[in-house]
Amino acid sequence: MPMVIALAGNPNCGKTTIFNALTGARHHVGNWPGVTVERRTGTFEHEGLQLEVVDLPGTYSLSTRSEDERVAAQALASGEVDLVLNVLDASNLERNLYLSTQLKELGKPMAFVLNMVDDAERRGIRMDLKAMETLLGGPVVATVGNREEGVEELKTLLASLARGETERCRSIAVDYGHDIEGELRKLEGEIQRDEALAAAMPPRWLALQLLEGSPAAQATLATSHARAAIGQQLSKSQAFLEQHLKEDVATLVAERRYGFAHGLVKEVATPAAEGKTPTARLDAILTHRYLGIPIFILILGLIYSVSFILGKIPQDWIAEGFKSLAAVAGDHLPPGELTSLLVDGVIPGVSAVIVFVPVIMILMGCIAFLEDTGYMARAAFIMDRLMHVMGLHGKSFIPLIMGSGCNVPAIQAARTIESRQDRLITILVTPLVSCSARLQVYIVIAGTFFTPIKAAMAIVAMHFLGLGLAVLMGRLLRSALFSGPSSPFVMELPPYRLPVLKSTVVHMWEKGSVFLTRAGTTIFAGATLVWFLSRYPGIANAEWTEQYLQQRQAVVALQLPQAETDSRLRDLELARESRIVNSSLAARIGQKVSPLLQPILDPDHRRPEAWKDVIALTAGFVAKEIVVSTMAVIHQASDEPKPGERLSPLQVSLRDRSGLTPLTALAFMIFTLIYTPCLGTVAMIRREAGSWGWAGFSIAYGLVLGWGLAWMAVVVGRWMGYA
Amino acid sequence: MTQNLSIPLSLLQPGDQGEVVQVQAQGPIRQRLLEMGFIRGARLRVEKLAPLGDPMELVIKGYHLSLRREESVCILVQRVA
Repeated sequence: MPMVIALAGNPNCGKTTIFNALTGARHHVGNWPGVTVERRTGTFEHEGLQLEVVDLPGTYSLSTRSEDERVAAQALASGEVDLVLNVLDASNLERNLYLSTQLKELGKPMAFVLNMVDDAERRGIRMDLKAMETLLGGPVVATVGNREEGVEELKTLLASLARGETERCRSIAVDYGHDIEGELRKLEGEIQRDEALAAAMPPRWLALQLLEGSPAAQATLATSHARAAIGQQLSKSQAFLEQHLKEDVATLVAERRYGFAHGLVKEVATPAAEGKTPTARLDAILTHRYLGIPIFILILGLIYSVSFILGKIPQDWIAEGFKSLAAVAGDHLPPGELTSLLVDGVIPGVSAVIVFVPVIMILMGCIAFLEDTGYMARAAFIMDRLMHVMGLHGKSFIPLIMGSGCNVPAIQAARTIESRQDRLITILVTPLVSCSARLQVYIVIAGTFFTPIKAAMAIVAMHFLGLGLAVLMGRLLRSALFSGPSSPFVMELPPYRLPVLKSTVVHMWEKGSVFLTRAGTTIFAGATLVWFLSRYPGIANAEWTEQYLQQRQAVVALQLPQAETDSRLRDLELARESRIVNSSLAARIGQKVSPLLQPILDPDHRRPEAWKDVIALTAGFVAKEIVVSTMAVIHQASDEPKPGERLSPLQVSLRDRSGLTPLTALAFMIFTLIYTPCLGTVAMIRREAGSWGWAGFSIAYGLVLGWGLAWMAVVVGRWMGYA
Repeated sequence: MTQNLSIPLSLLQPGDQGEVVQVQAQGPIRQRLLEMGFIRGARLRVEKLAPLGDPMELVIKGYHLSLRREESVCILVQRVA
């Protein structure tokens, strides 16, 4: 069994850089069981020893109030971890040491990494590592993580500890004062009566947490057979301490811990030189009262352009590539079920997954860059007032704006929000932001039913409607789902740092590959299901296939000019597809469901073929832009305009034959905006929210909200005299 | 003497310095503030307000932190010249 080393430390202490420097490419990203907190594990070999490293979530404490802290505390208390490697930011030692005092209580052997010593030295801080080792009770190695300085020394130290040379690790405890220490000992005594409990968690740690009033410690206590006796002692201790001390235990404990940290820093480090740090100078501009917001908007615009304009280029290549692949396969394989599975199911399904990868990688790269430089915290600082009004967090702003490019990476971008509530609300409202795929549907529909100016206005209105709804739903979800105060906004503004290219690239690669493996399967399965619904039973009808082949042969036999032949063959193909789709399971479902949609899409009962819209909307579940190509198939009219004409045959058909009116067309657009997030988004919600429940909820509330608003549009429109 | 009067942190202006007297928040927020260094006697300096007036940026224990008004009203401080 290799020794397991847990990396613990504050956020922004450079823990992940140390992790990458130790393990290189030999690491794996997953989730901690039951939560959506990322779990990074890796291995490295040194002096013939194999060592395993687990990167714990970065936390300021182990008080188990947040998901991250709970995960870290649980992992540390478990028997899985053999050694705790505490990474400390050398230029912010005092606050970093607060966590160290808690880590020491866990009783595991510890070693310390004093990271980013170059930063500290630049600020004139000198440190005595020997004295630090004595006071902390564990070996200390100085490193500069991003330049991999000190990493070899660290590996050698860890290998020696793995061989059992742990004499440098001593236990050191903060002294909480006579009264608290006395009660702690009594509580420890009671805890030790339950051997299983005492083995699962150091008794002193558990006692301390109980006195501090930690809910997680109470939960642990509830599993013990000695809970009655321990609980009794706890009440007695609390009553005693309340009488004897003027402050509550949590305050005194925090004061003692900071006292320890403060004393230690005074002992081992010289104070920082006075004067403005580079960070302060940068912040004078970047969070400036008047310049801060324009600069932020500029940076946001840059990221948006890089992600969705630059990112669209490889995206188009991929989409075109798969389209021609499908076309080639369709031309060379005999028509039938297997060909259709390949051409209409598998190839578009794979394409629907892969097209997201370039934007995901680029956008996540940009966001990692913002995070690593420290600007993300400033962005949140600048926008928090506005977002707080909406019941969201300052960090929710970037996902919401990026959602207008594509919801899928936008939801992934919500990862940067620490609080689970804020993250969940952001994830749930982001799909309401109208993305570029929905724009394609609006362009076709609005272009058909409105004059160009009104069409443009309608399209802009859709985007504002989406944003407005996101705000409204944010407030609503906050008050409906998470009653109680919103999570505190106590956010560190870390010093600006130049990110390491390597770690940004590693981050981009991770996000892309995680998307392919986790969300990809869901998208692919959904695409295949929609293919099945929209092709069966017609695709299996041998008679139809036979007829189609005969018609083709008849056309070829006419020996018309090549262009004419091709055009007639395309018409035949469209006719065959139309026949299959219009008699498919999806069509039957559409006929069953269309009464439900009648109030919004057919208020006057004049559209016998309203069920066809349901097919298009069902297909649109895979990806919203598919709504248009499906309509082309259903209405047997191409969506490519002929040269010199403003409207495509599909648009002419919609205008003249579908029975949609400008008002119901508007309702159709509203419904398309909201009715459900696309498959990619649903897959991402399920991954990021951590359960199918939330993914299902996002579909359900979309359907209800979309229906309701479309219906309101129809009712209000008719009342105002529109048809 | 106004010097010894305890006032909410939210009343300090950019550039003002103070010393923490007491954290009045309760529950998880209190715990978080204590962990972040808001303990009796801790020195802090208000750096600036965000462009929209909230949250505030301050320096405590040698690092920069931002707090919303909601949190800063629950922290009692003494102004330090």
